Amino acid sequence: MASDLKTYFEAVGRTPLLTRQEEVELSKRIESGDQKARDRMIRANIRLAVSVAKKYSNKGCDLEDLIQESSLGLIKAVDRFDWRKGFKFSTYAYWWIKQSVRQHIAAQSGSIKLPAYARGTLFKMRQLAEEYEEEFGFAPTQQEIADLLGTSLNTLQSLIKSAKATVSLDGSAFQSDPDSNKSMHEMLVDDSLPDMDNEIDKNYLVNVVRDALTNLSPREETVLRLRFGISEVDLEGSSL
Amino acid sequence: MPMPKGFKAENGYATTKQFAGGDDYRSIAEKMTKDGYKMNHATARNVFLSALQKIAKPVHNIHNIPTTGDKLLKTAKDPRFQIGVAEILNTINLRKK
Repeated sequence: MASDLKTYFEAVGRTPLLTRQEEVELSKRIESGDQKARDRMIRANIRLAVSVAKKYSNKGCDLEDLIQESSLGLIKAVDRFDWRKGFKFSTYAYWWIKQSVRQHIAAQSGSIKLPAYARGTLFKMRQLAEEYEEEFGFAPTQQEIADLLGTSLNTLQSLIKSAKATVSLDGSAFQSDPDSNKSMHEMLVDDSLPDMDNEIDKNYLVNVVRDALTNLSPREETVLRLRFGISEVDLEGSSL
Repeated sequence: MPMPKGFKAENGYATTKQFAGGDDYRSIAEKMTKDGYKMNHATARNVFLSALQKIAKPVHNIHNIPTTGDKLLKTAKDPRFQIGVAEILNTINLRKK
């Protein structure tokens, strides 16, 4: 872990948490435009933002970036928190922080950008599949997931398809050796071309059959031609 | 009635439908008789299978399969072999063209 980040965590850890009463008081002051109260509220809850960011640190984004995004989510929550509803600030802020981090991860991962609802559905789908497997011991079918999410199977399938990881054709073909000269497009099999081994075998077989044809009597040759529907014109000049 | 077993149950019969423009044995016999090779439909079939056995022999040799009469006849009757030979003959024709 970078020493800057360690220092930051230490600093964050030193900030005391707020009591319920303090939260309400600060919220009231924030409402009346007190900037200092706003700063205090943010500082006192930054631990929550860090903890949420850490949860998502294995999603392919830098932890520093995630902390930054979660802090932005926290600021949004501080500005929108309504103390009158009687909830603890952390309960309310958690969702804003989580949403902010998720949005950042989705924006950074993959070259195909999906709309927010699609990313949300995919996230719910993964979560649901995990919970289902934990409970029943086997993975749910796509139809089951679609039913549980209240979406159609077609929509779910197209979302899964859109979210698949993309690979650059110009990238290295071997992930273990990024300096390899071979790129992905050089290694991909072209199915539109005939298989070389098959072609060689086929050519060999054609030659064998061609030789065998010379052993046929004119009677056999004619019957074979008639049975296979090969016209005389076709065979003009051939040994058949 | 017992379930059908054996080669034909698995691979089916070779029919003229499998060869575009191909004749049935009766038509072949008529045409051959007209051309001076007197034969009936059964002979047409025997001649056809004899020709295919001659073609099957070197193919058996390539794949190290015994070239006994019954083995060659079995290959000659195999619709997959017949379709393969028809395709090869067409390939030879295309190359000639």
